[in-house]
Amino acid sequence: MGSTFRDVAPTQVEILDWTCVFSFLFTSHLFAMKNYFRFLGLLGASLGTITIAQAQTPLDGLMMPKGEICIALQYDQVTWDRYWEGSTIRVNQNIGTFTRQTDMPMIVGGITDKVNVILSLPYVKTGASAGQMAGVQGIQDFGISVKALLLEKSIGKGKLTGFSNLSFSTPASNYLSDYMPFSLGFGAKELGIRAIGKYELDKGAYLRVSYSFLNRGITEAERDFYYADGSFYTSKMDVPNALLGQVTVGSWMMKKKLRVEASLTTFQSTSGDDIQVYSMPQPTNKVDFDRIEGFAQYYFRTNGGLGLIASYQQAISGRNMGQFSGYGFGLTYQFKALQ
Amino acid sequence: MKKYNYIFLALFLLIGMTSCMEDLPTKYDYTGYQFANLDANAGQWKLLLHTSNEQISIPNPAAAGSAELLKELADAKEKQSKATSAQREAVAYWTNNPLLRWNEIALELATKYNLIPAPNPDGSYPVPDPANPSKYPKFPYSHPPYTSRMLAHLSVAQYDGLIMAWQYKYKFKRQAPYQMDPQIKSSYEKNGLFSYPSDGAVIAIASRDVLTAMFPLEKDFLAQKAQEHLESLVVAGINVSSDVDAGQLIGAGVAKTVLARAATDGMKNAQTTRVKSDSIKNAAKDRFGWVWENQETPQRMVGLVPLFGKVRTWNVPNVEAIRPGPPPAPNSPEFQKAAAELKAYADKLTTNQRRIANFWNDGLNTYTPPGHWNRFAKEEVVANKLSPVRTARVFAYLNMAIADAGIACWDAKYYYHYPRPIQTISGFKTILGTPNFPAYTSGHASFSGAAAEVMAHFFPANAAQFRTWAEEASMSRIYGGIHYSFDATAGLTQGRQAAAFSIAKAKLDGAD
Repeated sequence: MGSTFRDVAPTQVEILDWTCVFSFLFTSHLFAMKNYFRFLGLLGASLGTITIAQAQTPLDGLMMPKGEICIALQYDQVTWDRYWEGSTIRVNQNIGTFTRQTDMPMIVGGITDKVNVILSLPYVKTGASAGQMAGVQGIQDFGISVKALLLEKSIGKGKLTGFSNLSFSTPASNYLSDYMPFSLGFGAKELGIRAIGKYELDKGAYLRVSYSFLNRGITEAERDFYYADGSFYTSKMDVPNALLGQVTVGSWMMKKKLRVEASLTTFQSTSGDDIQVYSMPQPTNKVDFDRIEGFAQYYFRTNGGLGLIASYQQAISGRNMGQFSGYGFGLTYQFKALQ
Repeated sequence: MKKYNYIFLALFLLIGMTSCMEDLPTKYDYTGYQFANLDANAGQWKLLLHTSNEQISIPNPAAAGSAELLKELADAKEKQSKATSAQREAVAYWTNNPLLRWNEIALELATKYNLIPAPNPDGSYPVPDPANPSKYPKFPYSHPPYTSRMLAHLSVAQYDGLIMAWQYKYKFKRQAPYQMDPQIKSSYEKNGLFSYPSDGAVIAIASRDVLTAMFPLEKDFLAQKAQEHLESLVVAGINVSSDVDAGQLIGAGVAKTVLARAATDGMKNAQTTRVKSDSIKNAAKDRFGWVWENQETPQRMVGLVPLFGKVRTWNVPNVEAIRPGPPPAPNSPEFQKAAAELKAYADKLTTNQRRIANFWNDGLNTYTPPGHWNRFAKEEVVANKLSPVRTARVFAYLNMAIADAGIACWDAKYYYHYPRPIQTISGFKTILGTPNFPAYTSGHASFSGAAAEVMAHFFPANAAQFRTWAEEASMSRIYGGIHYSFDATAGLTQGRQAAAFSIAKAKLDGAD
């Protein structure tokens, strides 16, 4: 799993962004370490982004050892020209094709061999190809995440590893969440906790499963009355919490310089209202979706240094969000900062 | 790993704590209160749609000490002692000034039904059909004109009903149950208001009946609300059953009168055919050389209620009396200046300007600007502890003025048929959705200009605040990119002029 994080957010209809991915997984370098950490893949979280990311990017599969740092820069673009209004597909020619672009810088550091910290601060840009509504751009949410290796055990011809991740994100600019689908994010603090398990064969193939709970707070609108299955006399909007599950199959190839994955993600809000007929979405909406994605990461050498990532994702079902698809690519660079 | 476990435990606790969300308010938080004045002479105040304060007759009440009344008191005592927790909650909810709750219900329904029709697959747009209200798009589409008219009819029925109730209260002078029987407790402040007929029952039934006509699909919901309200009157210790029965007669009677007016006010013709719409458009083109066109895709070929300007006004003698002069022609220097201002805001809007645009947007799926001002009135009524009848007076004059302002504004909109900024300024983008009707004059400005003046008249201590809000509401549309400054200026003036007719009438109604 990737990292996750904000997945979608706010934007319901927009959602889009996910992709982002960065997961943090760290990688490489590990080879050097040979021991335990080889291939643990795991997750990271990225916080902050609207996304769930998946792919782990940078670092893949492993924890970063103590003193190592990975810097990643990922670009993602997600588009949709139809969206789910409740569970009904709606085409709105006054939006045309909606695009959400995310530039996400991320830093992952190994605090110890078993604990990594991940920081992220995405810049988001949104726009529609039709209609007269203005798109927006700006800094979205700052995210910090801590990932810990809790279990590591050889079983048969492979190894089982288990991780947990805690994340926190908060809006890093005064963007307006109540401007969907254009808003940069859902505009509330988020606390996330994740459990990740992975079984990897010595030959390089692996299966990874993760489950996350995302607790989202209150976002502040600029109006003090709104309707969400009834009237609300306040500018505070409750952003629904969410559950996020992901199953990934992947494998290392080319002597561990290349990693490819395919995953299925399911995201379910635990509450919320539907978008009203032919109306704008709002942060209180119940956003659900299922998504498939592909991800690849290539390292130029097996001991840190530069890596490339590429991903593709597509929604296969949803509620109160765009029927999105998109791609992402990025660069990662890993080095030893401390001896 | 042990130390990490502690870290994770701490984070878990943090998550647990943040999940205790505060409850977000779904209604105005107020309780029953001591009225500042009982308005003993309100039975003599001037009625709005009725000619006599006893036009709706009710039976003479049973005398104090009569077996009939004693039985009612015993019955009330039993109902109070056996009240369920749901009934006690209802008593707290409805309060002793329940008009405010019915107004809030009206705003909720206005919000719920304020949804613009989506296009058909062939690119045409369906229209709500009052004869088949549940067929999509549901009837009504409670846009701002509809909501303003709905609120005016509701408030006028409530006001005339309470004037009659006060007439009978002070004619028969029946004491409240808690005064006649010390074992009956009043759930609210003991105002000493005579109880026959029940003013609460007048409000419950008048509101139920008017709102049922305005929102026919809500018939069952409204009936259930009214039943709960009626029951609460006896449980609260402020009425016996004959008080409630008499109040219901008045409520039903005034609703009937008001709905007869609504049936013939011209609203049913306001949403026109394409042919009629085109003729209105062509008339404007011949007259001025410009024309507004809807910019959506697919294009809406008929604007929102082109003939709302022909709907019968309440106090404005005729819309031409307050129709403003023409707006500057597109591409005239004055227009260019207004357009440049819009582009400047679009390029660089301050946080506060954005906040104002959104605060006053009151667009689809909201209670609209008329609803926004009703909310302010509700808060002002409680702050000033007005009696039910004086509360009704505020809402009646406020909503008549707002409705008149809307009618006059719509007259100007379709008389001048002036294009919106997204039509005249190439490539212009906005942060608010542009409504489906012409620009000049601004509806927000007109509604708000009228509302602020009526509020200033009734609550002079806060007059400056109301006028500031009206100015802000007008500016909000310019910040949002959907109106020119001249739309706002003309709309404010028009609204204030509309309000002057209502205020002049209020000054002569005997209440001050």
